[in-house]
Amino acid sequence: MNKNNNNHKLILDLHHIYKNYDGVKALTDAHFDLRKGEVHALVGENGAGKTTLIKIIMGVIMADSGVIKLDGKPVHIRNPQSAQKFGIAAIYQEPMVFPDLNVAENIFISHADRGSIVHWRKTFQDAEEVLSKLDVNLNVRMPARGLTLAAQQTVEIAKAISLNARILIMDEPTSSLSAHEVKQLFKIVRSLRDSGVSILFIGHRLEEVMEIADRITVFRDGRWISSKPRNEVTIEGVIHDMVGRNVKEFFAKDKTERGDLLMSVRNLYKENVFEGINFDVYRGEVLGFAGLIGSGRTDVGLALFGIGHTDSGHIIFEGNKLKINSPQQALKHGIAYSTEDRRKLGLIMPMPICSNITLPLLQRYLNSLGLIKQRSEEETAESFRKQLDIHTSSIQAMVEELSGGNQQKVMISKWLNADPKLLILDEPTRGIDVATKAEVHNMINDLASQGVAIILISSDLPEVLAMSDRILVMREGNQMGIFNQVEAEEEIIMAVALGQNQTIQENVQ
Amino acid sequence: MKKILAHFNPEQIRESFLVLLILVFVLFFSTQIPDYFNPRFINRISTSVAVIGILAVGQTLVFLTRNFDLSIGSITGVTAYLVGQQLWYHPGIPPILSVVLAIGIGMLMGAINGVLVAYGKVPSIITTIGTLAIYRTFLVEYSHAVPITTNLLPDWIVNLNQVALFSFHGFEFRVLFGILLLVSIIFQFILRYHRFGRLLYAIGSNPSASQIAGFPDRRIVFQAFLISGGLAGLAGFMYLVRFGNIMVLAGIGLEFSSIAAVVVGGVSNMGGSGTIIGAFLGSLFIDILQNSLYRSLAVSEFWRDAILGMLILLAVAIDYLVIGHLRKKWARTGFQLKSEETSNVK
Repeated sequence: MNKNNNNHKLILDLHHIYKNYDGVKALTDAHFDLRKGEVHALVGENGAGKTTLIKIIMGVIMADSGVIKLDGKPVHIRNPQSAQKFGIAAIYQEPMVFPDLNVAENIFISHADRGSIVHWRKTFQDAEEVLSKLDVNLNVRMPARGLTLAAQQTVEIAKAISLNARILIMDEPTSSLSAHEVKQLFKIVRSLRDSGVSILFIGHRLEEVMEIADRITVFRDGRWISSKPRNEVTIEGVIHDMVGRNVKEFFAKDKTERGDLLMSVRNLYKENVFEGINFDVYRGEVLGFAGLIGSGRTDVGLALFGIGHTDSGHIIFEGNKLKINSPQQALKHGIAYSTEDRRKLGLIMPMPICSNITLPLLQRYLNSLGLIKQRSEEETAESFRKQLDIHTSSIQAMVEELSGGNQQKVMISKWLNADPKLLILDEPTRGIDVATKAEVHNMINDLASQGVAIILISSDLPEVLAMSDRILVMREGNQMGIFNQVEAEEEIIMAVALGQNQTIQENVQ
Repeated sequence: MKKILAHFNPEQIRESFLVLLILVFVLFFSTQIPDYFNPRFINRISTSVAVIGILAVGQTLVFLTRNFDLSIGSITGVTAYLVGQQLWYHPGIPPILSVVLAIGIGMLMGAINGVLVAYGKVPSIITTIGTLAIYRTFLVEYSHAVPITTNLLPDWIVNLNQVALFSFHGFEFRVLFGILLLVSIIFQFILRYHRFGRLLYAIGSNPSASQIAGFPDRRIVFQAFLISGGLAGLAGFMYLVRFGNIMVLAGIGLEFSSIAAVVVGGVSNMGGSGTIIGAFLGSLFIDILQNSLYRSLAVSEFWRDAILGMLILLAVAIDYLVIGHLRKKWARTGFQLKSEETSNVK
């Protein structure tokens, strides 16, 4: 298994790749190469640029600049079809199968060379042949709808093989698979590698990466950090490369007096989503929630706000046991939640700033006839505009006209207007510029000093570290531990979030 | 249960269920309505189902791509009128040419729908509600409310309705029904075996995967509307043959019958699943029901529509409950590696 791949020739070679999205740097001078018959893993935090790189290789997006070489010759990959022609295929986390078509057809539907009439018997035979090459037993007549995720992935692998793919990109293929299914998948991956296919493997579970990869490349903040043969790296080394930041470009949390206990959460559990969630949060405290995307942080936040039921566990708020069944109830008790997805869930884009801010508490703005008192609405909006420095020509401007950072401020205003005792902020600084980011951090400090308890959910690890008094780390729906700011270091938190630490330093105060 | 599931897919189970349901209804009505099985009644059903059935074929293609075509009733009416008028002015037009003319007029109107939906990205429900009204208004304005009547038409077209390919004890296999069977067989074949048909399923089944796979999704959607229009044109010709008298309201409401037929026949409004066989059975069911309710004096005209509406809702409810449940039974089929000796995969 552990072959020396150094003699193998380069198949794919990417150099000096740059990509900006609306001024945000997704990739900066990135490098990546792939040799014949190797499994080359690409790892990095959320936002490190892995997905952008794949999209460029697959022709979904074009790089702003940079060179892509296939077999030593520069190529342009304009769209997914041209990637297919070059022999590149990708398997995504969520397989892209056609649920109503059967397995055999899913394998061959992208083949343009099979004529316009489908010869079903031959299609079934050919599909069985491809699957048996992969050592897979699967009923080719069954609709793809009825397959497990793992089985759908094998159908996609079979499709790639039948298209003579030489390069197979696997984007977090194991994230929803059981241990047994992962074992099966790796067996297939190894036999593909041994038959000369080159595999770009993206994974979050580092043990898996160590098990399957021949080489490991780390990206951080859109830059290439390191590429090393597997036998020359350790998990600790990889984690160090993933987080190793030198610059502290973040606002630090002010020292604030921790107030009285506000809320205790005990054994909160929701089937298949999260379990064993236990924490206390105090007035004037910022409790950070760290973990990878999909680790259940947002689900816990939503549950505290009364969206989606929990199966067991309880919440004690200001000394009383609470059952929160709806956001209205949560708001009544003083719990507010600002979503991570402001476009879809947070704001009504084609509506004025003013109306967006007063929407959750519209009862307050009704006169005796039940009509809206626009004057008092405007007063509220105007005061938030000053308080949070929302840059706009008028509070009657549509939210969609604002920049991301100002939209974020409108969304926060909307919840501050409810005078929350507990404010849950989900990714409050994602996709906004540095200056506004600092303003948001400032605002968090202000609120904490006024005695508001804050739960800060963020994928931005340095932000969580700088802004939180304590940090709760989640992984795959489980609470892995709570750390004090003093003892929390990026590498420790990342190791815990990735499930790499052996001893969890539980610290319940 | 497991054995049944192993050999049939949900569509086949539903189609067999529909055949059973048709039989139950026929038996029920035969006890309620005296002389139910007389040849004239059966022959009439065979010609009226021909119109709905043809429209249902086109509607099926459109449904497979996750769209609707609400304009086909108007297209049927416009075509019936225009073709009737041409035959009135030029009685010498040969039969084949008049059929081609009808299909051509229908395709033209279908093309307008297709361009707006596929290339203009206007949702099909909006587009075809618009063209439903526009095509109908065109008919009103163009005809100046002057109807086409049988005495203006050449004899062959007036008599065509009665022409039987063969007959058996008074039960006739008429030309119109023959056309429906032929069209159904052709399109069932296309859906099952032709790349165009398979792409219709693929696009409706997973639009984003279709895009990534680089399928010509817009062209396919356009073609579905084009064919739906063409078939509505053919249905317009058949409508002319069947009634001979064409007024400005000709074909009104046929879009709803066709939607009822395909939904009852198990064509999913979420796209990607359904067959022409199902649409044919659905048309048969709807048409038998309409004609039987018409004959049964106990049911008022207004109730007929309500019963039809209830059946559509029932069909959709059954779809979600029964078929959804069956599908879950299929779900969670994993795979096994041939080299694995122990078969421990769920």
